[in-house]
Amino acid sequence: MQFGENTVIDGLSFDVARGETFGFLGSNGSGKTTTIRALLGIYRPTSGTLEINGRVFSDDYGARLGYLPEERGLYKKESVLDVMTYFGRLKGLSRADSQRFSRDYLDRVDLADKADVRVDKLSGGQQQKIQLGVTIMNNPELLILDEPTKGFDPVNRRLLMDIIEDRKKAGATVVMVTHQMEEVERLCDRIILLKDGRSEAYGTIDEVQNQFGGRTVRLKFSGTLPPSPNFRVVLADTNYAELALDDSADEAQVLRELVHSGMLVRSFVAAKRSLDDIFIQVYGENSTAEAAAI
Amino acid sequence: MARHNLGTVVQFEFTRTIKKRRFWIATLAIPALLAIVFGLVFASSSSTKSLSEAQKNDKLSFSYTDASALLDPAIARAMGGQVETDPGTAVERVREGRLNAYFSFPASLTEGQVKVYGTDHGIFKNGTYEAVARQLVVLSAREKVGSAELAAAVQGTFSTQAETFKDGQVSGGLETVVPPLLFLVLFYVVIILLANQMLASTLEEKENRVTEMILTTLNPTTLVVGKVVSLFLVGTVQAVVFAAPMVLGYVFFRDQLAMPNFDISHLQIQFWPMLVGALLFIGGFILFTGVLVAIGAVMPTAKDASTVFAPVMIMMFIPFYIVTMVVSDPGNVIVQIFTFFPFTAPITAMLRNGFGSLNAASAAVVIAELFAFGALALRLAVHLFRYGSIEYSRKLSLRTAFARRR
Repeated sequence: MQFGENTVIDGLSFDVARGETFGFLGSNGSGKTTTIRALLGIYRPTSGTLEINGRVFSDDYGARLGYLPEERGLYKKESVLDVMTYFGRLKGLSRADSQRFSRDYLDRVDLADKADVRVDKLSGGQQQKIQLGVTIMNNPELLILDEPTKGFDPVNRRLLMDIIEDRKKAGATVVMVTHQMEEVERLCDRIILLKDGRSEAYGTIDEVQNQFGGRTVRLKFSGTLPPSPNFRVVLADTNYAELALDDSADEAQVLRELVHSGMLVRSFVAAKRSLDDIFIQVYGENSTAEAAAI
Repeated sequence: MARHNLGTVVQFEFTRTIKKRRFWIATLAIPALLAIVFGLVFASSSSTKSLSEAQKNDKLSFSYTDASALLDPAIARAMGGQVETDPGTAVERVREGRLNAYFSFPASLTEGQVKVYGTDHGIFKNGTYEAVARQLVVLSAREKVGSAELAAAVQGTFSTQAETFKDGQVSGGLETVVPPLLFLVLFYVVIILLANQMLASTLEEKENRVTEMILTTLNPTTLVVGKVVSLFLVGTVQAVVFAAPMVLGYVFFRDQLAMPNFDISHLQIQFWPMLVGALLFIGGFILFTGVLVAIGAVMPTAKDASTVFAPVMIMMFIPFYIVTMVVSDPGNVIVQIFTFFPFTAPITAMLRNGFGSLNAASAAVVIAELFAFGALALRLAVHLFRYGSIEYSRKLSLRTAFARRR
């Protein structure tokens, strides 16, 4: 995929299985939003193909798609109910069904009294709820969420997570572009890490963690951490540390080493390397958690 | 689905426009203004009529001298006049206010002047003196001629009826020109009223960041066509609202509002000029709408779009600079260029169609051209909307837009 002389996606290939939740990860400018837009026919790829159910996307599929773009927006001067009904109708619902869904949804998100209020009279958080409602109002079989929690307050974030889980249970396929590793670990079956338009890692979370090797130890202790060739300290806080174990180090050996150093070990939990660590390794310490499309 | 969505788009766009209070304030402002003007005219007309009646009953008193011996003393007496017995002091008496008016008729009306002296009753009422003096001469002369027919012949106060022929058929006058020119009026009204809305119609998706959700739900052609159709419907509503007070005024209060006594039953509606006018109107509407929508798709904001929008609108008015030439010399090279240049074609061709100088071949070419360019403009608008509206905060590079083939 090229914009003028710039190649923004190069040699990227991946697939998303029906019914799975797929995480699309990458730093700013890595090509995530561009890939999604190309998948949805908003951009045309310079070469290669992107298909949904074996077909290049066309607006006919819009009735089965729920898309929450990175750039959020709604018709501002119309009432909430009018806007939701309009999108419902565009997605193939009847007027009555659109209105019924809208009222039920507004009730669920505590905005029932705002049905006749103009969208621009709502707070930012309330507008986000409406946008989310529009995204899922046709019970889509494919949900594409580009930075879904961007700008969401904790309440809306929880709502979004609940909705994604609901859709997962209903058998929908979910593709989410995100920087929130805890969301990825909680929701995603498989992920892809994109860097400069290329795939850096691709597979289940376990596979990606294995690909980047390393195990970590979450340690609660009293005393002083001794230096050791068997681990390096990833995170150090008062009486808490995260250690990245050397490939050849054995967890029991590290525990023994710590105990013998004279420190008091209160908790020792060995785990695979966190996605946060992997993300930082791939994109560097300066990668930001802010989303930015190309 | 596309057809279903076209109806949905039209309904949404139309309904949300006419539901806005701002729309009705703007739309009703003109008829309200007209109603106020009509009210003032009505009131003024009533008082003028009363005044006229009062003046008619008021007999003007004057004295006169008649060196021409043309005047009939009986008529003069009936109009309030009496022969001046002391012409030497008459003007002085008028000056001092002791005599209302004094008219001095010369020996020869063709060589001399009728001198009219009167006391001042205001700039409008003062005209009565001359009117009475003149009327006195006319009535006296008519009395002397002794024949109303001859008098009418001399005065030229008789009516004529002309009939001309073209290709063996009776050709019309103004009665045939007016109906097809109504499309010209309609074209101006619709474009001028809706131009800003056309421009803003695609900007809205961009400014509200709705583009991506729309493009993944709806074919952009359906959206653009739906917007154009709804704009047309909105324009129709506005035209009806604007025309309503004029139509009501004409039908029920024509005399009171001093409206021209134009008998619309004399209008001759001819099939071909009306058909050509309608097609020119539709073709021109599609062309201008397509161009304005395309401009909206390229520009990031309404403010940026307005700079490009102005030249397009000016082209609508340029043909009026040569309107005399269009009517009197339609074969002129400039008129021909204006007839076939797409942006000046609707106006020029509609004018020529109204005045009967647009032959069938030229009409067919212009109509075909307008529809072709209109379709091209709409297609361009759709393409630019697809790729331009995603450029949320910057102007779309045309080079980039066309490089992204779809």
